Amino acid sequence: MTELFVVAPMLVALSTAVVTLVARRWPNLQIGASILGVTVYGATIGWLTWRVVLAPDAPGAVAYQVAGHRAPFGITLVADALSAFMLAMAAVVAVAALVFSVSYMDPRDQQISYHPLFHFMLLGITGAFLTGDLFNLFVWFEVMLMASYAFVVFYGGPEHTRAALWYVVLNIVASAVMLLAIGGLYAATGTLNMAHMASRLADPAASGVRVAPVVGLSTLLFAVFALKAGLVPFQFWVPAAYQAAPLPVTAVLAAATKKVGMYAIIRLYFTVFAAAPTVVELPGIAGQSPLAFSGPLLFVMGVASVAIGGFGAVAATSIEEVLAYSSIGQVGFIAIPIAVAATADTPAVQRIAVIAALVYALNHALSKGLLFLSAAAVRDATGTGEFAELGGIAGRMPVVSGVFFVGMLSLVGIPPLAGFFGKFLVFDAALRGESAIALGALLGGAILTIIYTTQTWTQGFWGEPTVAVNDAVMNHSQLAIIVALALVILAAGVWFDSVYQFADAAAAAAIDRTAYIDAVSDGGAWT
Amino acid sequence: MTAFVLATIIGGLFALGTFLVLRRDLLRVVWGLAIISQAANIFLITVGGIVDGTAEAVPVLAGHDGAANTTDPLVQALVLTAIVIGFGMTAFALVLTFRVYDENETMDVTELEEDL
Repeated sequence: MTELFVVAPMLVALSTAVVTLVARRWPNLQIGASILGVTVYGATIGWLTWRVVLAPDAPGAVAYQVAGHRAPFGITLVADALSAFMLAMAAVVAVAALVFSVSYMDPRDQQISYHPLFHFMLLGITGAFLTGDLFNLFVWFEVMLMASYAFVVFYGGPEHTRAALWYVVLNIVASAVMLLAIGGLYAATGTLNMAHMASRLADPAASGVRVAPVVGLSTLLFAVFALKAGLVPFQFWVPAAYQAAPLPVTAVLAAATKKVGMYAIIRLYFTVFAAAPTVVELPGIAGQSPLAFSGPLLFVMGVASVAIGGFGAVAATSIEEVLAYSSIGQVGFIAIPIAVAATADTPAVQRIAVIAALVYALNHALSKGLLFLSAAAVRDATGTGEFAELGGIAGRMPVVSGVFFVGMLSLVGIPPLAGFFGKFLVFDAALRGESAIALGALLGGAILTIIYTTQTWTQGFWGEPTVAVNDAVMNHSQLAIIVALALVILAAGVWFDSVYQFADAAAAAAIDRTAYIDAVSDGGAWT
Repeated sequence: MTAFVLATIIGGLFALGTFLVLRRDLLRVVWGLAIISQAANIFLITVGGIVDGTAEAVPVLAGHDGAANTTDPLVQALVLTAIVIGFGMTAFALVLTFRVYDENETMDVTELEEDL
C-alpha cells in the first residue's frame, strides 16, 4: 500500500496507547514506550507532510480507502495540505507536552492511566484531522473527548469533578446535536462522505439534493464545532476545565483539541457546504453559498470571544486562569478572519483571510502550548500559580521567566516571533475585507492582550520574591523542553516564508474542492 | 402514519430530556442526557426512510429475491455505533455523578455552582 503513510500516525498512536496500557506494571518500560511512541508519531507526521506537501512531486491530497472499500461506500481518510498543517501543529506541542509530563506528573499518576489516555487523545485528534467521512468525524470527536473527560477529572478533587461534570454534560448534549445534524445531512444529501457530499451539493439538480435543509443542518452542526472550539456563547466550560486538567494536557487541549473545532469549520464550510448554490438576499447579507449565513454568525461569535476572553483574562487571579481566558480570546482572533473569508467578495481576499486564520492558529498553538508548559514549570518549582503567592520569579528563575516572556511577546505579536506575522495577517485580512467592526474588535482585543500579559508579568515575575519563589527548585529537563519550544516559535518567525507557503498551500486545499474531490473519488468518477 | 407517530415520539423524548437536563438534581440531569441521546438514535433510524410494512418488504418473509425492498442498512450501522458510544458516555456520567457527590457532598446543581 503506497498510501499507508496517511494512516501511519493513527496506527502509531493506537499501538502506543495499547502498549503503555499493557506495560503498567513496569513504569520505566511504560515511560520509555510512551516517549518512543510520541517521537515516532511526530516522525510519521513529518513523513506525511513531506509526501503530501513538501516533496517535489507532492500530489497535494492523498486518500486512503480503509479496508479497500472505495469511496463513497467505505470510510476514507484524506491527507491534504490543510490536514498536514493542523497535524504538524498538534505534533510539535504533543511531543513537547508528553516529554515534559514525564518529569512533571507524579510517577504513580503516570503509571495508572496518564500515558494510555494521552495517546488515545492524540489518536482522536489525528483521526478528526484526517477523516473524510462525516460520521467518522463524530466517532473521532468522541474518542478525543473520552480521553479529555478522564484528564479533566484526573486529580479527582472537588473542583476537578465539578469542572468535569459541566464539560461532560455539555459535550454529551453536543454529541446528540451532532448526531441529529449528521443524520439530517445524510437524509438530505444521501451520503456521508465529505467529498461525495461536496460534489452532490455542487450540482443539486443532477443529484436530486435539496439545498435548503442542508443550509439549516449545517448551522446546527456549526453550534457543535463552536462548542469544541470554545467560542462565545459556548465558552463557559473552558476556564474550569483548563484549570482542572494536568497542565501539560491543558497545553495539548488548548493547542490541538480546540483547533479540531476550527479545522472542522474550515473543512466542512469551505470545502463542502460552500459548494451548494444558494442565493442569499437578506438585509445586509448577500451571497451565493451557505457561507453567507455562517459568516456573519461566526463574526459575531468571534468578536464576542475576543471581548469576553480578554476581559476575563484581565480579571483573572492566577497564571492558569489568565491563560485559560486568553484561549477564549485568541480563538476569537482565529474566528474573525474565517468570518471575513466566508463573506469575502473575491477569491483572493478569501484565500488571504484563510491563511491569516491558519497562521494565527499556529501561533496560538505554539505560544499557548509554551505558556501552559512554562506555567507548569513554575507550579512544579513553587507549588502555586496564584498571583497572591507569586512575585519576583524573574530574579530567581531567569530562564523560565525568559521563556514565558517569549511566549507572551508572541501572543501580543512582537517581531520577529511567529505571533507578529499572525497578528499582521489577521489585521491585513480585516482591512482587505473592508470591515471596520472587525478592525475595531481586533484592535480592542490586541490592547486587552497587552494589558493582561503585562499584568501577569508585573504580578508574577517582577517585585520582591515571595516565600514560595525563594524556596523554588527548577527541574532542568523541564527547562530544556520549554527552551526548545521557545526556539521553535523564534524559528517560525525567522523563517516565516516557509511557514507562509505551507499555510498558503493549506488555505488553497481548503478552498479548492476539486482537488479534494478528485483525490477521494480517484479522478472524479463516483462508482 | 408511522412517520407521524415516530415524529411525535422523537419530539416528546427531546422535550422530556431537555426538561430533565434543566433540573437541579444531578441524577435527573444524567437521565435527561440518556434520554436525549436515545432520541437522537431514534431520529437516526428514521433517517433511512419509512415505508409501510408488507410481507414483500420484510426480507425474512419475502425470501432473498426481495433484496431491493430492504431498508437502508447504513443508518442501522450508524445507530449501533451511536448506541455503543452513548452507553459508554452514560456510564461515565453516572460514575462521575457519584464522584461529584462523594467529593462535594451535594447533588444539587445550584449548590455545586455556588462553590465553583
